[in-house]
Amino acid sequence: MTYVISQGCIDLKDRACVDECPVDCIYEGPRMLYIHPDECVDCGACEPVCPVEAIAYEDDLPSESAGYLAINAEVFADLGSPGGAAGAGMMPADHPLVAAAQASA
Amino acid sequence: MTATGLPFPGLRSGVELVPTTDQPQTGKDFTSDQEVRWCPGCGDYAVLKAVQGFLPDLGLRRENIVFVSGIGCSSRFPYYLDTYGMHSIHGRAPSIATGIATAREDLSVWVVTGDGDALSIGGNHLIHALRRNVNMTILLFNNRIYGLTKGQYSPTSEAGKITKSTPMGSLDHPFNPVSLALGAEATFVARTIDSDRKHLTTVLSAAAAHRGTSLVEIYQNCPIFNDGAFDTLKGADATEQLLRLEPGVQVTAHGHTWAHDPTEPDPTWQFALSRLDTDPHTPTPIGIFRQVERPTYDDQARAQLATARQAAPGEPTDRLAALIGSGDTWMVN
Amino acid sequence: MTLPNFPAEIRAPQGTLPGVSSFQVHFADHDILTAGDAPDVLVAMNPAALRANLGDLPQGATIIVDTHDFTARNLTKAGYESNPLDLLGDANDPLGAFAVQPVDLTGMTVEAVKEFGLSRKDAARAKNMFALGLLSWMYGRPTEPTIAFLEKRFAKVEAIRDANITAFKAGWNFGETTEAFVVSYEIKPAPMAPGVYRNITGNLALAYGLVAGGVQSGLPVFLGSYPITPASDILHELSKHKAFGVTTLQAEDEIAGIGSAIGASFAGSLGVTTTSGPGIALKSEAIGLAVMTELPLVVIDVQRGGPSTGLPTKTEQADLLQAMYGRNGEAPVPIVAPQSPGDCFDAALEAARIAITYRTPVMLLSDGYLANGSEPWRIPEIVDLPKIDPAFATAEDLTEDGKFQPYARDAETLARPWAPPGIAGLEHRIGGIEKADITGNISYDPANHDLMVRTRQAKIDRIADSLPPLEVDDPSGPPGHGKAKVLVIGWGSTYGPIGAGVRRVRKAGHHVAQVHLRHLNPFPHDLGDILHRYDKVLVPEMNLGQLSLLLRGRYLIDAIGYNQINGMPLKAADLEHHILTHLTHLSEELRAN
Repeated sequence: MTYVISQGCIDLKDRACVDECPVDCIYEGPRMLYIHPDECVDCGACEPVCPVEAIAYEDDLPSESAGYLAINAEVFADLGSPGGAAGAGMMPADHPLVAAAQASA
Repeated sequence: MTATGLPFPGLRSGVELVPTTDQPQTGKDFTSDQEVRWCPGCGDYAVLKAVQGFLPDLGLRRENIVFVSGIGCSSRFPYYLDTYGMHSIHGRAPSIATGIATAREDLSVWVVTGDGDALSIGGNHLIHALRRNVNMTILLFNNRIYGLTKGQYSPTSEAGKITKSTPMGSLDHPFNPVSLALGAEATFVARTIDSDRKHLTTVLSAAAAHRGTSLVEIYQNCPIFNDGAFDTLKGADATEQLLRLEPGVQVTAHGHTWAHDPTEPDPTWQFALSRLDTDPHTPTPIGIFRQVERPTYDDQARAQLATARQAAPGEPTDRLAALIGSGDTWMVN
Repeated sequence: MTLPNFPAEIRAPQGTLPGVSSFQVHFADHDILTAGDAPDVLVAMNPAALRANLGDLPQGATIIVDTHDFTARNLTKAGYESNPLDLLGDANDPLGAFAVQPVDLTGMTVEAVKEFGLSRKDAARAKNMFALGLLSWMYGRPTEPTIAFLEKRFAKVEAIRDANITAFKAGWNFGETTEAFVVSYEIKPAPMAPGVYRNITGNLALAYGLVAGGVQSGLPVFLGSYPITPASDILHELSKHKAFGVTTLQAEDEIAGIGSAIGASFAGSLGVTTTSGPGIALKSEAIGLAVMTELPLVVIDVQRGGPSTGLPTKTEQADLLQAMYGRNGEAPVPIVAPQSPGDCFDAALEAARIAITYRTPVMLLSDGYLANGSEPWRIPEIVDLPKIDPAFATAEDLTEDGKFQPYARDAETLARPWAPPGIAGLEHRIGGIEKADITGNISYDPANHDLMVRTRQAKIDRIADSLPPLEVDDPSGPPGHGKAKVLVIGWGSTYGPIGAGVRRVRKAGHHVAQVHLRHLNPFPHDLGDILHRYDKVLVPEMNLGQLSLLLRGRYLIDAIGYNQINGMPLKAADLEHHILTHLTHLSEELRAN
């Protein structure tokens, strides 16, 4: 199980969640933040601090965001599990679906 | 990794007598159906996830694993693992685990406890478990605060701590759990950090592999009552603050430099290392301080039983009849 | 009994067997004066004295030996090839049938009287007074008459007088400060059923009963215990029986004793913990855990005088309410009480049966009187002992969708499944926090708590269904229909004295009934009916009225207490007087009406 960041984060990247995460598992892409599903410990610290309510527990993901469960996982396909975002730096690219998403109005 | 492939070959493994399985296991197999109820951001989540992720590596049958806890936030741990478990009473988990481990050689026994549970109300049981060297692994979650009772200082809180029960600052000098364990003649003593899953997993592997009582102190953040207690030891800038203990690594304390040897029977230098984190100017050691071989209480207790059994063949009922009919007897007609 | 014509000294001449002299001091209350009384204690000042007198001693007698004179030369003179004291506690201990107390009487006496400047020989002679002081303490004899006698007898030789008095007091003090000397008392004589007999103390019978509980259930026995007077002998004895699969763990404290036993029970052993009243106080929270987790556990309280450290070597039965209620919350625990030393065997087996069958901690209330007292015991046949079925949960207990329900219940006993680790599919978690019915998951639901509290109580109440009817000793007829209008009811070790008191009343031509309780919780189903059949119910107890309180509360009867708390067993003569007084009151009342 894991928490998942969805479309509300795109082009926003408030990063309040990054400060809260006790295991440093929230990674930054060019357009949005991603929670590493294997590194997330389900503690829920990130969810209440997101100003746009873009974070949800995987079971509670709204239907319009259902695709983001896969997006948060697939984006780490090449990176693997670095064991901490601080040392990993900015990811080179967003998930293709995020990269292709229309900028919010 | 299976039970036979554990580190420190040559020593009898802590799980040697526990049945193994060929079935592949995942962390999910060890996750119970109970909703986890710690505060958001609690370090306990990270430890739980690490343990759930690590247990499949042992390759043990799930039904032969027992987690025992006392009282405190961390003591909810057994409910979240789909193994056998007991959430007992405050401070007593080591004594209950002693009974389990002595009664059954085929179980992998784990104790989950906190700084209040293990070092305050249960201090006696902890030191005696370590002294007896019962085959079990004790995970001591140290957040240096009482969480479940909402924020009083603990026996590991730094002196002068302002808490609900010490508005002018606490007066107690804290325990250093690693020093305490070494003083109690523990055979395996290690320290790790909740947020460093890789290190945590490595230490847990070695602790499980150790035959005897393994004490693992886990620095664990309480985001509610003692947030940031270990922040200086975390993140990318923490490297200088941490002394990562490995066998053979050069260490310096009290003006001496030597190669760390956790298997050295004399605990003097291991103890010296444990004192480093009391000095703010020296790095905090994490890793395995001590790992030595000593016969375990439970193995020896079972051996005594086996010896006695061999010397007394025959059906138990016949032997019982002989026992109660022993001594001088007489007949009444 | 005072000490008339007390000789100056009891000197066993150094030497051979024929040279042994002896002096028998007989402390007794008149009820145990019987022909052919064998001494309860032998004080053997040297090997020859031991050898010469051993034949007169009954099994279980106490032997105090002066280790000072057990020298190689004296042993040879007495015909010993080796020192019998070296084999104490061994399997082939020639003195194994006795309670041997090696004491350096000479050494301690010489040390005690040093200040009087006597020759070593004169000083050593005072060891007899040391021994007498020790015996006086053991049997609770007053010291004043002896001291007065010594003052008179040695009035002219001040140093000898003072040395003897000092030695006497030193012996008395030694007894009081050393918990090793515990006295056994005679118990109610009874017509003997045919069979093979032996002498047995309560603690030994208890230990044998626990071994039998393991054999009869097929379970390994695990004793977690911390030494405490007068219960330690059970730990000592059980530690010898590893061949029966008995593990004994001398724990770091009372709590760890019960904690390890609970752990062993969880792991599938018969967990046992032994202690006395102060230890029960420390174990209370853990007993509550065993109530909540519904694990089998036998908790043995060999009661002693209280409160606090109280009178460690004296007897009392004042822990009944502690056993009954001494826990937080509604935490019912079954209580079993043996009535004689030999009965401790059956009581231990019964406690094991209840614990295993009903998955519950069971309290067994022995006391110092039973523990160290001994009686002829008819050795039971193994085939006559009850079989106990642990009925462990198996994979067949899973529901259709493969779930294990650790708090589902047996329809008859209301017991939950006992599922020690090791069986796939039965993985479950238990603990002290309230359990949801059936699933055993944590539950704070108010209705569920109400249900579970009532269910745990109902389970303990169900035990009464398995108890035999009470045996009312009423020669005057069926309970309530004969001439006896007064019932005397007791529990535990008062069985002997109450029986003796009742027999005296009957011998005097009166009618009285007696019933004795083995089960204090739950009470047998027929108890209420029996109590209501009599006009008066008398309750003699070695406490301030604890059973009386329970009977009054439960059955709304006027239970009249007879309460003695002096550390000694009840006396038949006192009970006779008490019963007769009430018989008189009753007939006066009847006349007045």
